[in-house]
Amino acid sequence: MSSNQMRTGKPETFTYDDEIVKKFVIATLLWGAVALLLGVTIAFQLAEWRFNFEIPWLTFGRLRPLHTNAAIFAFCGNAIFAGIYYSHQRLLKSRLFSDVLSKVHFWGWQLIIVSAALTLPFGITTGKEYAELEWPIDILITVIWVVFAVNFFGTIIRRRERHIYVAIWFYIATIITVAVLHIVNSLEFPVSFTKSYSLYAGVQDALVQWWYGHNAVAFFLTTPFLGLMYYFIPKAVNRPVYSYRLSIIHFWSLVFIYIWAGPHHLLYTTLPEWAQTLGMVFSVMLWMPSWGGMINGLMTLRGVWNKVRTEPSVRFMATAVTFYGMATFEGPLLSIKSVNAIAHFTDWIPGHVHSGTIGWNYMLISGILFYLVPKLWNTELYSKKLAHQQFWLATFGLVLYIVSMWVAGITQSLMWRAMDDAGRLIYPNFIETVIKIVPMYWVRAIGGTSVLISFIIMMYNFYRTIKQASVKEETIYEAYALDASSIEAHASAHRKLEGVPMIFSVLSLIAILVGSGIEIIPSLLADKYIVKVSAIKPYTPLELHGRDIYIKEGCYTCHSQTVRPMAHEVVRYGKASNAAEFVYDHPFQWGSKRTGPDLARAGGKYPHMWHYKHFWDPREMTAGSIMPRYHWLFDQKLPYTGIPAKMRVMQKLGVPYTDQQIASSIDDAKAQAKTIADELAQSGVPAKLAEMEIVSLIAYIQRLGIDYGSVPDEPAQEEK
Amino acid sequence: MKQQALQHFDMPWLPVSALILFVICFIIYFWWTYRSQNKNFFQQMAEIPLVDEVKHKRNLYE
Ligand code: HEC
Repeated sequence: MSSNQMRTGKPETFTYDDEIVKKFVIATLLWGAVALLLGVTIAFQLAEWRFNFEIPWLTFGRLRPLHTNAAIFAFCGNAIFAGIYYSHQRLLKSRLFSDVLSKVHFWGWQLIIVSAALTLPFGITTGKEYAELEWPIDILITVIWVVFAVNFFGTIIRRRERHIYVAIWFYIATIITVAVLHIVNSLEFPVSFTKSYSLYAGVQDALVQWWYGHNAVAFFLTTPFLGLMYYFIPKAVNRPVYSYRLSIIHFWSLVFIYIWAGPHHLLYTTLPEWAQTLGMVFSVMLWMPSWGGMINGLMTLRGVWNKVRTEPSVRFMATAVTFYGMATFEGPLLSIKSVNAIAHFTDWIPGHVHSGTIGWNYMLISGILFYLVPKLWNTELYSKKLAHQQFWLATFGLVLYIVSMWVAGITQSLMWRAMDDAGRLIYPNFIETVIKIVPMYWVRAIGGTSVLISFIIMMYNFYRTIKQASVKEETIYEAYALDASSIEAHASAHRKLEGVPMIFSVLSLIAILVGSGIEIIPSLLADKYIVKVSAIKPYTPLELHGRDIYIKEGCYTCHSQTVRPMAHEVVRYGKASNAAEFVYDHPFQWGSKRTGPDLARAGGKYPHMWHYKHFWDPREMTAGSIMPRYHWLFDQKLPYTGIPAKMRVMQKLGVPYTDQQIASSIDDAKAQAKTIADELAQSGVPAKLAEMEIVSLIAYIQRLGIDYGSVPDEPAQEEK
Repeated sequence: MKQQALQHFDMPWLPVSALILFVICFIIYFWWTYRSQNKNFFQQMAEIPLVDEVKHKRNLYE
């Protein structure tokens, strides 16, 4: 127990920096409420389109990225920092490395969040899910993350406890991996201060994005929280973790396996078959370590199960671990190709995501806060009763969420794939499958509201708790400084190794880099592998601008652009997608959810007039549609002069625009706009339309799938 | 057609070597973790979070 028994040297006294932890706790509570409010808002928008309020910055496509970013980086991010800074100091018996860095970290992170809130609703976005923030903010994130890392590793260097407890291993893996993920996925080429294009295109971009996207879940929403679990559950019940050995196996298996699992987001796409299989196999393997961790967490409670009933912190944490087990069972299941074929693009996926984010993250954060807040403010919790009410409301809301999305997802998927004996779709109109599940969207919105209310109850509970705290005390700790006496006489080489955090960090880095390398590098060489199809040409200047509107409005949050090679999809949409189609797509826009139909083959499906009316009010063309109106695109002028700059960046990224094409781009764009406007004018649309943004969006949609559609099905036309 | 593009991507040695690599690593750390020599050490490690070496409290208003 006491490793200090035989220690020599001078005991030192010191304090912990709990002020910074308090700041992060308060930020967690505030941003948590914002993230949930946004979630509830977009849930209602899907149930009833009028909740888009016909205001550009309040529409679904703009708020959905804000919701996900707020939930992940603002709510969970601040919670992670609070929990890590609290436990890190105590596990190492050392104050944080630098109070100044802590403050820079805190305010820097809040600045990032505020910047996100000031850009995403205004359509300033890269269009890559969970990495939507534009390049200046990306740089800020990198800087602040480095500040965090210096503060974190500096504390390790200054520690008074030789051994690095397993929680810190998880933190180290988090810090290193998130840095790698963020930097690699955010490589982009600026067009202006608020606009950039991804360095990667098409299949490559998709692979890098989902390597990132999946590992953001793994290394932002899982590993740091597991580290917190390994600290706070033992603390809350005052007994050591059930099996420390299991925790080590848990750690290494997770770090090794998780990094490979990304391609399970891209099954049945044009991603190479072997990469898909790799993603699937590793995802199924993940089930083992995840459940090892769950068992370890729950078994730590053996003998003190009564506390689950009486102690809010224990109750929330036990529930969180249970949901972790559920979500990590469902995840591998969804990665199996045959299940994925049904579940992908449906509401089953948001259901799965929320059993993780609400069931695991929100619950664990609540558990940690119920432990932390009374300790930090040196008082008692205001009301256990409120905490229990919060618990039931949250659980109730979450169950409504999961069940409704599960039903909606499977219902819709079965309708999409239903075919009669003659090979015809039974529900050829996509809208039929939407109307069918709108009631489930209402149930989900009610469930989400219940979770939001539960959160507000917690805020109130903590507000009262903090208010009643009166005496300000500072605790002074004492421990020996590290010297030769802190190493056990017969320590093996391995133990010394474990005592050297830098080597450890390098090892975890190698583990994730090996996985990432094997997964990503071949696709970075994709140019050599993808068979070019000569019919596929870059977008025209006008279409390029229209594509940016598509990204800006977040159309990808509801529409996919990739047809899977399945009979029902080919019948519904058209030819299955080909990797060669996407080589000029910086960024790719395959999407991840089909709230609306796939658009990869939308070009030429309807006349311009159809789109004109549809964007003005989707319900004019499709009764019962839940797509928002985009009326502002009808009176926003098209900034023609900005087009050459965009093309020049694209040219640098390898899109074969000639200088001549760039020089004449403005005129070309105007000419193309005029042909569209002229056609519309025949139906009585005012001619001024040629100057408005809507023409560029129509031009883009009308281009989708056209080039590849002109290629005969037999690959006779292909050239290397 | 899709298959056409994919054939050029084919590199089965990659997942296989990945799998072998993973299995080797797993065996090594499993062996290390469950060696009986390390048992006491791990018990000691598990206690780390529970040892808060409190000295005394200071009232900041004093
Ligand atoms: C809230 C989800 C949502 C958003 C955001 C959204 N759509 Fe839709 N979209 C739908 C739904 C649902 C349908 C099917 C019903 C209909 O035709 O309106 C649809 C249909 C379409 C269609 C007709 C497809 C077909 O084959 O019939 C097009 C084109 C389209 N959307 C383009 C866009 C564009 C461009 C944007 C962004 C400016 C966008 N959508 C944003 C939900 C959405």
